[in-house]
Amino acid sequence: MIRIVTLDRIDPTDMAFLIGTLYRAFGVGTEHAGDRPVPREAERPDARLDAVALLREADPVRTFADDKVLYITSAPLALPQGPLGEPPCWGFADFGGERAVISTSKIPARGVSEASIEAWRRRLAREATHAIGHTWDLHHCYDPRCAMHPSWSQGLPADPEIDLCSFCREKSEHKIRLAKT
Amino acid sequence: MRGPPHRHPDEQREELPAVEGVILDAAELRAGDRVVYPNQGVCAVVGVEEKDIAGQKLQLVRMQREEDGAAVLVPKNKVPAIGLRRVATGEQMEGVFHYLAASFDDPELDWKVRHRDNADRLVAGGVLGVAEVVKGLHSLSRIRPLPTKEREQYDNARHLLVHEIAVSLGVPPVLAEDYVDYALMPPAGVKFELKPPPKPVLLPSRPKRRRPAAEEEDLGLSDLGLDVDLSGALEGAAGEREGAETEEAEEAAEGPGAARETAKGEGGEKRPPRRARPPAAKARKRARIAAPAKAPRKRAAAKKHAPRKAPARKAAKPAAKRRGKRK
Repeated sequence: MIRIVTLDRIDPTDMAFLIGTLYRAFGVGTEHAGDRPVPREAERPDARLDAVALLREADPVRTFADDKVLYITSAPLALPQGPLGEPPCWGFADFGGERAVISTSKIPARGVSEASIEAWRRRLAREATHAIGHTWDLHHCYDPRCAMHPSWSQGLPADPEIDLCSFCREKSEHKIRLAKT
Repeated sequence: MRGPPHRHPDEQREELPAVEGVILDAAELRAGDRVVYPNQGVCAVVGVEEKDIAGQKLQLVRMQREEDGAAVLVPKNKVPAIGLRRVATGEQMEGVFHYLAASFDDPELDWKVRHRDNADRLVAGGVLGVAEVVKGLHSLSRIRPLPTKEREQYDNARHLLVHEIAVSLGVPPVLAEDYVDYALMPPAGVKFELKPPPKPVLLPSRPKRRRPAAEEEDLGLSDLGLDVDLSGALEGAAGEREGAETEEAEEAAEGPGAARETAKGEGGEKRPPRRARPPAAKARKRARIAAPAKAPRKRAAAKKHAPRKAPARKAAKPAAKRRGKRK
């Protein structure tokens, strides 16, 4: 089961689209588990949220074995500096774990037109699929048409695919089949 | 010494400098040490234990794979051979990232060589070897999609690299993967100030095993029970070769001037023909199939004779035409 927790308000129609997409991508039940406050420990002086601290400190959600929790925030996320600098952060997840978080701050503005709203929803669904994919042991994929391709890649099209490639889909299905429940 | 395991018992193993951090003696291992088992990942050493296996008392090093807690038991005397090494240091990791971010020359396009080299790198190349596999296959994936086996190898290499980086830098694996892909696929407008990358991993050369000449000659056609008489054709070919060899020897004995003379007087009448015509076209064809090594010599010999025969044919044609005209 995938439980979506919102840290900021999200339109119900967007949520419905997201639930449908995640169900199709992983074949497991998905639901909106309510809102939670942003943990103070995750706040940084530059108005961004520390993604690692957020996952560690976020309020717990009632879960069962193999449940995944996806937090959604509109605040920009930050990652610790790496050897070559700080990579851009669209989301973060516990690899093979339970929790993941995505941010809507880097998604192009939702706008008011039908097309822009649709594009926003698709991009949100892609990032959610990407983050949940990490919790099912999926690594980044080199295929720009796969949802597991890095979100900052130059090869990513303007309106990227929200589905997994055949390799990633098979791998995630295998992991889900082997799951305890 | 390091290198992949022997492919054949008689194969000579090449001496190469050991990868940094390789454990050459099991006595170096202490309980709680974190080591990298090639192709398995980061393991924690639990201790050394003795077990009775098939009536033998074996000293085994017990390790636990950190990723899933799987138990790994290695005989103590096998530790130097399996390429067990310590987790890469921060300095080594920096080199890996600078290597990943550096521009890459053309990937190996021969899949057999590439697959074999990549397998060797994963076993014996250390953390840089794993990074080389990831970078090489990633570069190749930009040219064309990877075949299934290599896609799996790429995913395995990525998994090993990400986990070793995560352990070495003390960060979560997803963050380590973000670092790797930030170096491999930097976003638009990002340029890194790179240091010269470390030297590439040296792989032992694989000498090609050549079959002995006698084995090449004998194709085992006699075992097939074919009722074909190839002996004449083969003898002819062999005789031709012998003749050519003796001729060459004679030319060499007479000196360069003599060789020039023979070249000039090729069309002369005194010179005996080099070989007899094969008995029949079919037999010639079979002989070519039976002895492919001899075919180029035959063709070369045929070319030499061609100018002598061609004028005769040309001369015959006009005569036939004339005859036709007369009718």
